[in-house]
Amino acid sequence: MSASPFEGVLSQLIRQRGVLGCLVVGEADGIVVDSNVQVGIQSNVVAALAAALYRKARLCSAAAGLSTVSFLQLEAERGYVCAIGREGLVLVTLAEPRAHIGRIRGAMIESLSALA
Amino acid sequence: MEAPLQTFVDDAHALFALLLHPSGQVMGQFGFTRAVDVMAACALAAAIHASAGELGRELDGKPFRELYHAGRSRQIFIGDVPTTNHRFVFLTVFDAESSLGLVRIYFAELCALLRSAQPPLLAQAPLSAASLEQDLNRSLAMLFSRAPRGADGGESSLPLA
Repeated sequence: MSASPFEGVLSQLIRQRGVLGCLVVGEADGIVVDSNVQVGIQSNVVAALAAALYRKARLCSAAAGLSTVSFLQLEAERGYVCAIGREGLVLVTLAEPRAHIGRIRGAMIESLSALA
Repeated sequence: MEAPLQTFVDDAHALFALLLHPSGQVMGQFGFTRAVDVMAACALAAAIHASAGELGRELDGKPFRELYHAGRSRQIFIGDVPTTNHRFVFLTVFDAESSLGLVRIYFAELCALLRSAQPPLLAQAPLSAASLEQDLNRSLAMLFSRAPRGADGGESSLPLA
């Protein structure tokens, strides 16, 4: 069985400090394409909800005349959900509060080309 | 039965939801406005579910549990709802407001809700000739509007012959 084309991107992201998991998700259907998550994370649930959130944000941004969403960051009490998308795929990263969100953001933007 | 379906439709942003017996008998629905639509959807969903089940048995040795079809603007999801006592079929229609991932999440929640909401199976008393005759007589009395009275009442149950 051949390796997933997203394996490199995901392994690079999961090595960042405080990252709990990262997933490549279909934007339209919310189904996991590939993932690298810690034990205990319900990747299917996170994928579906994060993809829906990203899709709504993209539509909202377009409706407001702000063009495409470059980076979506949700800050919660116990961590972050970050999403970035291209060509119908969304790269989602879950991180702890102690994570360096700037580095994660940079790594995600660098990984964007792999989603095409 | 409508309350869990309404919850599903609200949470998953679906358009319709339908719960039916594999024979095609409707158990509950939410979102349909005409009875004829419900009947047609039930008949078609039961047929599709049966066909998919047999196809799964042929290909994989076990029936397919879920079926998804994407149309141009609307999508259909049909799933098997196993409960302790019965099996049901669930049909939902959704559009671009929702997604297959969301529908699958809330479908799993609906299955758990239906499993916990079903009444416990009544323990059946052992059948005997006497109890069978007694039950039959009571049913006949009720059918012909002669309510049976208990042992302390004046009227006994109807004799069979």
